[in-house]
Amino acid sequence: MFHKALWYQNYKQTRMVVWILLVLYIVHLPFQTLLTIESWRKQLEELSLYPDWSLEILPFEILGIFSRGILPFILMFTIILFACMLIGSERNTRRMDFTFSLPFSRKDLFLAKLLYGGAMIIVFHTSNFLIAYWILKQSEFSYVLDLVKIIQIYYGPLLGLLLIFSFAMFIGTISGEMISQIAMTVIFGVFPPGFGLLLVYFFEINFHYYFIENFYPTWIENFTILFYTFNHPESVVQLLYPVIGTAVFTALGIVLYERNNIEHNGEFLIFKVLHPIFLIGMTFCFSLLGGMIFTSLTPWNVQSLEIVTYWVGAGVFFLFSYLITKRVLRMNLLVKNK
Amino acid sequence: MRVKHLSKKIHQKEILSDIDFEVKSGSIVGIIGRNGAGKTTLLRTMTGILNPTKGDVLLEEESIFKNPKLKEYIIFVPDSSEALKSYSTAEILTIYKSIYPRFDEKYFHELMERFSLTSVDKIEKYSKGMKALFSLVIAFSTRAKYVILDEPTDGLDVIAKKQILKILVEEVAVHDVSIIISSHRLDELEFMANDIVLIRNGKVDGHYELDTMKGLYKKAQVVFQEYMPEVFKNHVTVLNQTGRVYTVIIDMNDKKMEELLKQHQPLLYEELPISLEDVFVAKLGGDEFVS
Repeated sequence: MFHKALWYQNYKQTRMVVWILLVLYIVHLPFQTLLTIESWRKQLEELSLYPDWSLEILPFEILGIFSRGILPFILMFTIILFACMLIGSERNTRRMDFTFSLPFSRKDLFLAKLLYGGAMIIVFHTSNFLIAYWILKQSEFSYVLDLVKIIQIYYGPLLGLLLIFSFAMFIGTISGEMISQIAMTVIFGVFPPGFGLLLVYFFEINFHYYFIENFYPTWIENFTILFYTFNHPESVVQLLYPVIGTAVFTALGIVLYERNNIEHNGEFLIFKVLHPIFLIGMTFCFSLLGGMIFTSLTPWNVQSLEIVTYWVGAGVFFLFSYLITKRVLRMNLLVKNK
Repeated sequence: MRVKHLSKKIHQKEILSDIDFEVKSGSIVGIIGRNGAGKTTLLRTMTGILNPTKGDVLLEEESIFKNPKLKEYIIFVPDSSEALKSYSTAEILTIYKSIYPRFDEKYFHELMERFSLTSVDKIEKYSKGMKALFSLVIAFSTRAKYVILDEPTDGLDVIAKKQILKILVEEVAVHDVSIIISSHRLDELEFMANDIVLIRNGKVDGHYELDTMKGLYKKAQVVFQEYMPEVFKNHVTVLNQTGRVYTVIIDMNDKKMEELLKQHQPLLYEELPISLEDVFVAKLGGDEFVS
């Protein structure tokens, strides 16, 4: 797994994304810290006109530097793309033939990819975090670091992104190519609340049953992988969630990668046994989504038509999603260049 | 190397079925069969790229699937060099050197020079023939015992083909390498292969030494007074017909043939030298043969 050739091969096929990731981290942490400090200085300058007023910096502003806003979101997508370049893009081309013909076990091949990706994320995140931390510590605003815990600004965001990476790698072991790896990582990454929302709507429209109290329980959030993009754990126990998740996805990824039948490369799924589950699952979810979308078109004053509209939408989406899903499951995006 | 009762199902279809043969050291084994017979699937399974549904590939009595390190002795040269197209020659050299412990760098440079291959910053800059040659240069420099080639001369010009065939024969003669080669170019296989494994519908239809295989059939030109009698047609494979002149392949094991020849008294019966391609047609194709 630490073989030089494998690490070099992995770097070679991901170097563009790796450099993008590095630039994003530089902008996200050190650059954003500089901008925030400048903003605080400006505020101080403005407040100096009013002697009774003082600058109050709140914890969320510190978290804003280290793991909030649009940049962690872009980082999350880049990390998913990174995982897809490591596994999915190999499947779209004949590179996997080369990789699998080498004298390495599949476990070693998978771990080399996972550890290489993980190492890049840890090194970029840690080095940029340390620079950002040092910039803040050196500034006149160093006291604000006492407002937050280190697990909130360093361990939480880092482990959250590592969880997302290991999840995308795990999805790569069941998806047959890059686009399906991206799509499934995003869909399953927000599946628990997404599916919950569809079910809630279904019950509301058809049975007038409202889940006001338990619509959004915390445990659903804990199981929603992409929510870990903005991870600020309050305690060490909460910090364990992404650690456990990463361990589980790594173990599952190894087991499945060893069992990969790569003759299905280029197809939506590697494991054909999953086809009926996906066909039923995708059709069902899209039908619920269709019902939800159509119902939203019903004018507010004709609520009596809501149920009918819901089922018309569900029916239309059922038909098309069934046909499209069948086609998607049959597609093959393998590029066979000579 | 032993391919042991290998079967492979893809999309519920049996692509390979109970393939069983052995590759002796220092031999060139030609894998032949019609398009879609399962040749490439067989080669990809023999190198551990695909998992077999049943069976195994053994090297020194040990499974390459259970001990992938054994693949240091096997190198696969696919029909496309796409996997490494963005690599420079120097990068490929570094990668192979670190993977294959017996990699012979001196020999690599020697072969590069001999085939006038210059270093490039991207393999894709090579012409098709140069890419194929470079793949062989790197493969033989690993000092692997078994070199598995999928259509190595497909789409190459005559000069490139000659260079490739030359290096293959030399490697076997000088370094005792075994080559397993799948090719539609039967004339090339005839030139160099010792053994032929014939694949039909995913099964081994026969594993012969080349001369033994040719001895199974004879090729003849036959002219009859009228057109060829129907009864005759059931016992021969007609390769060609020009008027009443027929070029046919006759199965040596068909005892009835001599009797039929005496009975129908052709105006001309002349035996011709038989090629591997003729045997291929007799065994697998007839008019639908695609080379």
